[in-house]
Amino acid sequence: MNLIPGATSATQGLQAEQLRMEVISQNIANARTTRTSSGGPYQRQAVRFSEALGEALSGVDATRGDRQAMPRLEILPDTRPPVRVHQPGHPDADGEGFVSYPAISVHEEMADLVSASRTYEANLAVIRNGRALAQQALSIGRRA
Amino acid sequence: MSPISPATPAIVGTEWTRPILPKVANPSVGSDLEGIAASGSPQTYARFGDVLTDLIRQTDQAQRVSGETTGALLAGQNVPVHQAMIAGEEASVSFQLMLEVRNRLLEGYQELMRMQV
Repeated sequence: MNLIPGATSATQGLQAEQLRMEVISQNIANARTTRTSSGGPYQRQAVRFSEALGEALSGVDATRGDRQAMPRLEILPDTRPPVRVHQPGHPDADGEGFVSYPAISVHEEMADLVSASRTYEANLAVIRNGRALAQQALSIGRRA
Repeated sequence: MSPISPATPAIVGTEWTRPILPKVANPSVGSDLEGIAASGSPQTYARFGDVLTDLIRQTDQAQRVSGETTGALLAGQNVPVHQAMIAGEEASVSFQLMLEVRNRLLEGYQELMRMQV
């Protein structure tokens, strides 16, 4: 029974945006991390939305090709090289006195965060709208 | 408590297949319904009581999914908040549908009882 139209896709969207926010928060928190367990500075994580085909749910056979495209989030390391800052006194400074910081701009992360939060809101709006539609449809049969 | 899959709520599992619908004059709608009726194995109910029982069972299941999801969230398991809220909304709409059907049924019955013999 699929009573709320769009709820399945929107749920996936919410899930993806939530994960994206977690990745962003991890990036912001580690913006100045110079040492990780794998050695070297923290590597910024980027996200990529890819389409995962979910089977359509409401009485439609999946073999007919009616599938719903669901977003799926992949977390990949950012390819930008670390930023080298001259700090000779730093414990992680190399022989020349340079410290490698992760290539993270907090401003960029904040802009991403705004985008993620707005997209989350958009998905919520889809669900709210779907629920309102379902309730209005149910009110067809109501007397008085 | 069974683990809750983050992708799709368990309510989706039991699928109600559409009974065969009469052909509709509108070509686009008609072809769509025909396709749906042809693709799945349409379930025909012998009695209206069976339809009602099935509806009640599905509503009950939606309520249970909602309860389990909310319970898991409150118990501190890794369930997203929106998942619990959406399960609750699905249960609520499904209950409203059941209520509407019940109201119409009762109305029909009362209409019948008012009939002059």
